[in-house]
Amino acid sequence: MKKKSGGTEVMHALEEAGGARSGVARAVSGQTGVPEATLYGVSTFYTLLAKPDVELRICQGTSCALAGAFEHIAEARANGVKVEAVSCLGQCDRAPAALDARLEPVIWGGEGHVLPADPELPIDLGGADTAEWSALEKAKRIGAEAVIDEIRAAGLQGRGGAGFPAHIKWSGVRSQAETERYVVVNADEGEPGTFKDREVMLRRPHRMLEGLAIAAWAVGAKVAWIYIRGEFQACRRALERALAEAKPDLEVRFYDGHGAYICGEETALLESLEGKRGMPRLKPPFPTEAGLFGKPTLIHNVETLACVPAIVERGGDWFRGLGRTEAGSKLYCISGHVEKPGVYELPIGVTLEELVQHAGGYVGTPKAFSPGGASSGFLPMAFRDTPLDFKSLQAAGSMLGSAGVVVLNDSVDMAEAARWGQVFFEDETCGQCAPCRIGCSLQRQSIDRYLADRDAEHLAHVGVVHGEMDEGSICGLGMTASLPLLSAMKHFPGDFV
Amino acid sequence: MKVIIDGEAVDFELGETVLEVAQRVGRSIPTLCHEKRLDPVGACRMCLVEVQGQRRLQPSCTWKATEGAVITTQSQRIDTHRQVLLSMYVADHAVDDQGLPKQRGVGNQLRDQVLEYGTGPQLPQLPLRRAVREHDANPYIHFDAEACVLCAACVRYCDEVEAVNAIALVERGGRTTIGTADQQGLLDSSCELCGGCIAVCPTGAMTERPSLGIPPAPEPIRSTCNFCGVGCQVDLHVTDGRLTRVTSPPPGTTVNDGNLCVKGRFASEFVHHPDRLQTPMVRRNGVLEPTTWEDALQTAAKGLLGVKRRHGADALGFVSSSRCTGEENYLMQKLARAAFGTNNCHQCAAT
Repeated sequence: MKKKSGGTEVMHALEEAGGARSGVARAVSGQTGVPEATLYGVSTFYTLLAKPDVELRICQGTSCALAGAFEHIAEARANGVKVEAVSCLGQCDRAPAALDARLEPVIWGGEGHVLPADPELPIDLGGADTAEWSALEKAKRIGAEAVIDEIRAAGLQGRGGAGFPAHIKWSGVRSQAETERYVVVNADEGEPGTFKDREVMLRRPHRMLEGLAIAAWAVGAKVAWIYIRGEFQACRRALERALAEAKPDLEVRFYDGHGAYICGEETALLESLEGKRGMPRLKPPFPTEAGLFGKPTLIHNVETLACVPAIVERGGDWFRGLGRTEAGSKLYCISGHVEKPGVYELPIGVTLEELVQHAGGYVGTPKAFSPGGASSGFLPMAFRDTPLDFKSLQAAGSMLGSAGVVVLNDSVDMAEAARWGQVFFEDETCGQCAPCRIGCSLQRQSIDRYLADRDAEHLAHVGVVHGEMDEGSICGLGMTASLPLLSAMKHFPGDFV
Repeated sequence: MKVIIDGEAVDFELGETVLEVAQRVGRSIPTLCHEKRLDPVGACRMCLVEVQGQRRLQPSCTWKATEGAVITTQSQRIDTHRQVLLSMYVADHAVDDQGLPKQRGVGNQLRDQVLEYGTGPQLPQLPLRRAVREHDANPYIHFDAEACVLCAACVRYCDEVEAVNAIALVERGGRTTIGTADQQGLLDSSCELCGGCIAVCPTGAMTERPSLGIPPAPEPIRSTCNFCGVGCQVDLHVTDGRLTRVTSPPPGTTVNDGNLCVKGRFASEFVHHPDRLQTPMVRRNGVLEPTTWEDALQTAAKGLLGVKRRHGADALGFVSSSRCTGEENYLMQKLARAAFGTNNCHQCAAT
């Protein structure tokens, strides 16, 4: 019996027709042939479709919470605005932030910062972005194998958080017998504290698109998809403008995300791209072998692709040499209690202390920092001189992740900060597998009950529940979802007495 | 080809999963979302095993056996995983006075597994976050969100076996539930009320509404459904002399492969209905009177032969019910042709 699954047109059709509003599923079912219950299941999965009537979406991510998001939420409620507290909007440098009904940002904070133009930086957010695309020409001159060799020599690791060596994915897709292949850009940036891909797309759209064109050419893909956060309309416009300028010999299609953090997980992203609920697939098979529509697919984060043109131009060894403890440079986001929040392109392995110097220093007395988004938990200031790289942070029981660094000063109760993280994961778990679905609720319930009466008994099972979430969950979300609470309890016992 | 299961080399066929091979050699691996008629999804996480060379535990229901693969189905690591996972399921499930998952419908496998494998620490109960369609007025299928483990077997059955797609996973995260388009009642959906969702539900979250609260009979009576000629086998649950529930024999054992339709599963009120005919009746002088089979058949034969004698055999026509089996239809046409000499015979389902 043939399954009637979605298709790439489904999500857009649902959005146009009104998301989860009554009658929409039936109408869109008539247009698409997808069963109406299935469509309702899709529209209720994605927050932007599930709640089409919201007028103001205020971010309750860590940096926005520190900057007074909850006061803004209360005020909007009091004024009768249909307001919704939402997961990180990727505007942490301009916190607190919100989106209006058209999903355009409402910014209450200042503007974020980047380093001044410097041609020695691979991405160089401050530099001029042009449609020159000389690296693509060079790539075609030296050949695909030579390009992949440079990527290998560069030691380029995936910048989305997992740090997987890029060249293995490229070779993996290139060596498939199937010739219909895809490249997918993961521009669904949503890890709390992370807003680097947003800046790349806004400031250097040509860098990313040129990297995409090189990757597609090297692995033999004719079609590329850019899966972009629905909340990043300005980024999409910047990319579309750049595409119109460059007119690459590659079919580039855009796909708007509709509000689901889990779709940053590559196989959930593929499900979403196919018009379904964004629930991660079991692996293997990996996308390089069976990805979008079952075809070999190269999936990369925006930043990873944006590194490619400079690697091709200047060579893998040059890029590798930019790093201090690991290969290359890295876009570090920093927000929270620092003077100049922003995105700073620095050698991999800088310490928090150095990063904060670029960001103008601390605001108040620093107490804790989260090195790589909510999934990395919190570290105390004793780690201020630890290299911010993949290996050192893993050894510290944390992770570099997407390098979304958030600094918290001593005005913050770490139990409260842990709660923000657990609320985030309970809101964003997809619900497919029991360890993560039930575990995220248990952890959030534990910290809520603790904050209500400060009885540590409520936290007795946090560790054992985390153990099973780590052991039994299908994807990485469940494996790391307890870290805000677990790390806060470990490193800040004073806030849990 | 051989795969090593708990140290024992076991033959397998290409395409077999670790679960299939392990069960064949008598290993006990618990599952909740697994159902033979459905594609495995590895979502309930109960069947995880150790695969040598893999850092993470892997779902045996989807992991294919390969030559020389080393699988462990029993270890301290797996015990701990199962027990804590069961604790978590229990925290998200309606429990009885003893803290065990409530017994429902034709049984609750979650309860069985808690009793068999034990649990980890007792975790605080979570409030019910799954929506239920309280306004759903359908007479047959009851959904109790408190007992749902979101294995989605019902959703997958409705899709993969019935191709009806009346239900789907709706909402997200802890609020995920089994729903319909706009959460309408099943009567306003594409549902055919076959009740297959009930048959595949491991916990009794989906139950027969007419049988709510009635436990299954210990020894159901195997019978043949008499609604059509397919010959589906049914198990009749009889409690205190009354038929309380109809279920299918397990998949793979009878012609209906575990499936039933709305009539076979639910349309059994006639069994105890006061209007039901319980003896043959003959109309004499315009009044129906109870009689014996012998008398009824003699009377019918006499009447039919009388028509033939007065008007010829082709004045007779024989129509059989769509509830007759193929064999019965054969006999009916043979009666028409051989005993009465007419080809006027018809089967009412032959349209």
